[in-house]
Amino acid sequence: MITRLVGALALSTALCASLPTFAQDQDLAAPDRIGLSSAPNKLVVRLTGDSPGNTDPDIAAGYKDLFVAFIKKHPEWQLQLQIQTQDIGTEQAKMLEQAKSGNAPDCAAVDSFVLGQFKANNVLSDFTPYFSKEEIADLFPFVREGISGADGEIYAWWWDTDLRVLYRNKSIVPDAPQTWDDLKKAALASKDQGMEGVLFNGGRWEGTTFDWLANYWSLGGKLVDDSGKPVFGDDDNKSKFLEAVNYFKDLVDSGAAPKRVATIVTYDDLAAAAAAGTTALFIGGSWQNAQLESTLDPDMFADWTFSHIPGPTPDDHKTGTGGWTIASFSKDPQKVEMCADLVRDIYMGPANALQQQLPTRASLYDKYPVFSTPANKEFAADLADGQARPGAPIYPEISNQIQIMMGDVLSGSKSPEDALSAAYNASLEAYDRL
Amino acid sequence: MDVPGNGFRARFNRRYAGAPLPWMLPVIVVIGLFYLYPVFDVIRLSFTDATLIGNEHTYTFASIIHAFGSPDLAGILLTTLIFVGGSIVGQQLLGLMIALIVIRGEKRRLFGTTILRTTALVAWVVPGIAGGIVWQMLFSEAPFGGLNSLLRMIHLHPVEWLSDPNIAPWSVVISNVWRGTAFSMVVMYAGLKSIDPTLYEAAEVDGASATQRLRFITLPQLRTVILVNMILITIQTMNTFDSIISLTGGGPGRATEVISLYTFNIVFRNYDLSGGVSSRC
Amino acid sequence: MNSRAISRLGDVFSYVFMMMMFVFFAGPLFWLLSLALRTKREIYLGVSRLIPKYPTIDNFISVLTNNFFPTYLWNGLLLAVLSGVGVLIVALPAAYAFSRFNFRGKSAWMMGLLAFQMISPLVIMVPLYRYFSWLGLLDTHFGAIMVYIALGVPLAAWLLKGTVDSIPRSLDEAAMIDGCSRFAVFWRIVLPLSGPGVASVFIITVIAGWSQFLVPFLLLTKTKLMPIGVGIFQFQGMQNDSSMQLLAAACLISVVPAIIAFLLLQRMILGAMTAGAVKG
Repeated sequence: MITRLVGALALSTALCASLPTFAQDQDLAAPDRIGLSSAPNKLVVRLTGDSPGNTDPDIAAGYKDLFVAFIKKHPEWQLQLQIQTQDIGTEQAKMLEQAKSGNAPDCAAVDSFVLGQFKANNVLSDFTPYFSKEEIADLFPFVREGISGADGEIYAWWWDTDLRVLYRNKSIVPDAPQTWDDLKKAALASKDQGMEGVLFNGGRWEGTTFDWLANYWSLGGKLVDDSGKPVFGDDDNKSKFLEAVNYFKDLVDSGAAPKRVATIVTYDDLAAAAAAGTTALFIGGSWQNAQLESTLDPDMFADWTFSHIPGPTPDDHKTGTGGWTIASFSKDPQKVEMCADLVRDIYMGPANALQQQLPTRASLYDKYPVFSTPANKEFAADLADGQARPGAPIYPEISNQIQIMMGDVLSGSKSPEDALSAAYNASLEAYDRL
Repeated sequence: MDVPGNGFRARFNRRYAGAPLPWMLPVIVVIGLFYLYPVFDVIRLSFTDATLIGNEHTYTFASIIHAFGSPDLAGILLTTLIFVGGSIVGQQLLGLMIALIVIRGEKRRLFGTTILRTTALVAWVVPGIAGGIVWQMLFSEAPFGGLNSLLRMIHLHPVEWLSDPNIAPWSVVISNVWRGTAFSMVVMYAGLKSIDPTLYEAAEVDGASATQRLRFITLPQLRTVILVNMILITIQTMNTFDSIISLTGGGPGRATEVISLYTFNIVFRNYDLSGGVSSRC
Repeated sequence: MNSRAISRLGDVFSYVFMMMMFVFFAGPLFWLLSLALRTKREIYLGVSRLIPKYPTIDNFISVLTNNFFPTYLWNGLLLAVLSGVGVLIVALPAAYAFSRFNFRGKSAWMMGLLAFQMISPLVIMVPLYRYFSWLGLLDTHFGAIMVYIALGVPLAAWLLKGTVDSIPRSLDEAAMIDGCSRFAVFWRIVLPLSGPGVASVFIITVIAGWSQFLVPFLLLTKTKLMPIGVGIFQFQGMQNDSSMQLLAAACLISVVPAIIAFLLLQRMILGAMTAGAVKG
């Protein structure tokens, strides 16, 4: 009896003694905290799924390791993690309101396309001192422009990006359509083989505006002028805008695209049609290549490839680029620096590699093997055509109006001219009220 | 039982319990403390040009005039009317029918009443986004879309559930009736249960048929319940937008944009505080 | 034609109708189940496949073992039940007053209460946030519960007034003649006889609280305070990496506590009914 007790005691002592070495990593990572709970300095960090809060256990574990490694370098700090939901617009609006009430997190993920709102409100802290000139110069131009304020300083770090491309099934559409006409012909031809035609986002959501804008941009059209005022309906841009709208309208009217594009409100719908074998052409996001690879049988996936979004002529083509940034709302320079360090150690490369999300710096494509694949090399090359949505505070309303316009035009309720003037007037009116 | 006439409690009762105020006090305190101020603030804001962006705002009628003058408002109100009206009729009708059948089933020990009731209830408590996602798959107009595949199977024409601006609002009504019927069912069930059973017994003695009992006893007795239910469904439906966001986002165009979604868009997509407020006041 | 034959025919109609209704309500839920049983690979097949080829319960496991999911469920339950109780405490006396007293401006009061319900929390979001920030009640369950109660009371008071109305006044009067105070009448006669009404109002407010999104989303920030209505969105994944299968599983699991509560309360309604019938 006594021997057993002593034995148990000895065992537990042995266990306890060996505990500190591996218990430390465990203590360092709680679900809503990174770092020791006794650490004196706290940094409130609000992130998206690009964090230990990812729903995929492997990616979550990968992030956890990155965060633990980071906090080991800063033992006097603890990160208090908050997770944003995927309801991006609502989350970002809430954060803006919090920033104005002084309740914002110290360090947070900000969607690149609402960055303009945050910059306009002067709630972000200057990040320039914490990044080297080389690091900033290495960013893609659209990225650098996106994070810079009017004063030339940078207010966030944009760490991943994506772009839109035209996916096609080679066994049905052998050659990459280069122009709008090519695409229409290829889509009509694919219908003879039982396909639906070309699919794209045409429903009431941000993706519709975003994906369509590539066509407008390729004509040289502009949404806003340098002061952030909507100009897409003025004399310079009106005809370009109508041309790009009519291109989509013609795709639907001619049957090259099914009428149901006006109901597509997620990229997943496009992948679903590809997987079900009902379409041979769709305009989708760069991340969908990996999704198709994991969803389709290997021999089926071998038929799929992608090329840049067709333009009005073979030489004029553009593509929309998005992605996430990290910014600091803190007024405490120490916290701002900590936030910048977090970005450098975790999000400037390692996170891109972990999630296979395209980096925003050209040099990183060679640094990580995952980005040296032919597909990723091609994405990197296409990023040269990349154009981000304008960072003007009026952009969300313009986008809303374009979504409405697209629905009205594609469903035949309004002529493109009427729809454009309605959208333009509504945007101007909203701009006046801003 | 308390004996009136002596002690503080009795005096207190005599003094106050006869007046409605003490009974209303909890309501006044809770709403007054936690809800009244923001409401007044909203009304104040609707006379300003405040947005989420920037702290400065001036008092102006422009926001209200803008909201009322918006060329889209008529269409949005019409859509709201279809959405709310369709939901009221559909939910009340289905809710009443299910409650009647359930009560009949309980009496005659029919199988499946609990299963039916629970299923309807699951549809009610399942988060709105789930309803949106699932109905989007059912209404999908892809060659493999849920309902259209069924229609094709029985050799009917596929329907443009969501892409036709004239049909889309009704599709949204269907999904909302699916979700909201259980609420009416609970209310109707309680209403039916509290009808005095002697009324039916008397009718039975007089030899009234089932339809006559429904028409001359059940419906008149349920009048208040139906009215209250109608008000409640109206309020709930007016505030619903989560399932529409994931189903259509309000499109195509503005075909399914109801007033709550319009407000939501103004406040959260455009960061336009005062515009969002005035459209509701 | 005898009455038994008519009853039989009625049964057949009842079954047909129940079957149709069951298909209407259960159909979409089967789709949700189908999504919840899929692997990530199959999720992109969307609507093109109803029955998963490689069904898996991994999604349910991964939701249940998620660091926060049990917390979300608990918070959701806590907020919903406490606000349900709170609503009853606040609304029952008011319903009694509306039913039994005749006072000046009664209908104005009732309409005023309803007008509150007409104001969507959506509209007062920002002022509410600023007000609660000023009160120092952000990031507290207490603050959220009080808003839930304020939101639920008008509806509850209206419904409960109907319930109290259906209790014969002669009962209260008889009791008062026997020497009962109004409080005693309320507590010993009105309350016990309002069983079914109270239970349905409780169900309705609890479920309304359970599915609240806007209020907790706005007033709470700490992940560990979030109720299920908000937390569920964390399973949606990112736009470029959606995890619909997890969301579907989480939605289905989140329904379970509500259903259990409902089935328990349903007994209460029936029990109260029979008790009321005997006394009446």
